[in-house]
Amino acid sequence: MDHGTTKEDAEAWHQTDNLHAKSGKGDPFAAAIRATRMSMIVTDPRQPDNPIVFANNAFLRLTGYDRGEVVGRNCRFLQGVDTDPEAVEQIRAAVEAEESISIDILNYRKDGSSFWNALYMSPVKDEKGVLQFFFASQIDVSDRKASQDLAEADKERFERAVAERTSELKAALEAKTTLLHEVDHRVKNNLQMVSSLILMQSRSIADESIKASLKAMLERIEALSTVHRRLYQSDDVSSFDVADFVRDLVTDIVAASGRKDIDADLQLKPVRIPAAKAAPVALIVNELVTNALKHGFKGERPGTIHIHVRDGDGRLRIDVADDGAGMVGEPSAASFGTKLVRSLSRQLQAEIEWQEGSPGTRVVLSMPVETARKGEH
Amino acid sequence: MVEPLKIIIVEDEALLAMELESLVEDAGHQVVGWATSSTEARRLVDTLEADLAFVDVHLTDGPTGIGVAQYISEQKRSMVVFMTANPKRIPDNFAGAVGVIAKPYTVNGVMAALRYLQEGVRRPPPVSIRPAGFSLSPHYKDAWRPG
Repeated sequence: MDHGTTKEDAEAWHQTDNLHAKSGKGDPFAAAIRATRMSMIVTDPRQPDNPIVFANNAFLRLTGYDRGEVVGRNCRFLQGVDTDPEAVEQIRAAVEAEESISIDILNYRKDGSSFWNALYMSPVKDEKGVLQFFFASQIDVSDRKASQDLAEADKERFERAVAERTSELKAALEAKTTLLHEVDHRVKNNLQMVSSLILMQSRSIADESIKASLKAMLERIEALSTVHRRLYQSDDVSSFDVADFVRDLVTDIVAASGRKDIDADLQLKPVRIPAAKAAPVALIVNELVTNALKHGFKGERPGTIHIHVRDGDGRLRIDVADDGAGMVGEPSAASFGTKLVRSLSRQLQAEIEWQEGSPGTRVVLSMPVETARKGEH
Repeated sequence: MVEPLKIIIVEDEALLAMELESLVEDAGHQVVGWATSSTEARRLVDTLEADLAFVDVHLTDGPTGIGVAQYISEQKRSMVVFMTANPKRIPDNFAGAVGVIAKPYTVNGVMAALRYLQEGVRRPPPVSIRPAGFSLSPHYKDAWRPG
């Protein structure tokens, strides 16, 4: 076979070829390369355009060419329309730099069909480090590529589905938040309207006892208002700091009484309770503090009202104590205020106790607080 | 005696406006005008002398209270206090307003806020403690720092 090679070293490959063909002896490494199922070629970079000088049978089987059609040509005849120019450029750069390279590249057979070639190419240098050949092996990895493409397509589909679902959920959450704010806004406005209605009605009433009832009713509604004002101020809408609204509530009640001779001693530790329990707790505190002001400090009797909020053993404890006139036994069961406190305590599963202080009265409320709630710190 | 305040109410709910007017007068101040929309509000502040305007965020022509507050603040003749159930809609700079009374307020809350604001308008900074239902804008928090 004359492939027009002139260089001595290129001839050497043919000599081994011939030797093998003739006698079955020779270089066992060359024999292995000729016989292996892996496609392999050798190119000679010292000849113009770095032509193939050796191709094994596996290469010919893979590409569909005859030996005579490949030896003496540069490998670029394997490229085709869909070959990535970037991959070609990487190979060219490796040849130029005399470096090895491992790369997947789309190649074409003689019949025009394409295959994914996992190319490995490395320079062969002599003992002085002078470049002699390039050695290249080819594996058809079309199947691997195809399943890779499938996996990638699956992944893309999956990611798209996740993104769609996420944006749906985001939109749903946004709608929910908007609705919550809208409802909150209306509840607040309506509470304000209820207060205004009672106030205006009470202005037009001359009877002092009816006026006093309306005033008590207004105070209860204002206690609810104070809770609601605090309710959606924080991002955590599910729970509520008792200390926050008790401070607002008591400060407001004492200031509204106009009694500058009464001090409020507030010792409030932050205790979070579920938002649903905030309104009954506020109403109870309102009754207890209002009662202390009304009955404990009747007339001109000055004094101090102590409000302590703390938690222990998973229970919220609220103490309302005054150093006023005091009372005998528990408060009259007939009053609406007392009924309200007792009913709300039952609802909260709270224990409530009226104790005689010396002087004054102490009311102790103790109720369970769920732990492990959302937003607990 | 500190001079009483002249106040404009910008509020679309008639009931709330009426009630607020009674509270303002109970506290010894004077309501000089009431507007329910942003257009009315602008006309009022152009023609009236007032020390203070209480402005709701939601008016009959939409959430236009912020723009009204901005307009009044830029005129520099009256101070603005938001009065709203929707304090989250107020921008970070409060559109130049002094602060906000969050609805639902209590009678005492408004009375205490009026005392505090009267001091702030006539002899800043106020000496009273800032009432719980009243929040100051960042600018006034600085300007009215008790000192």
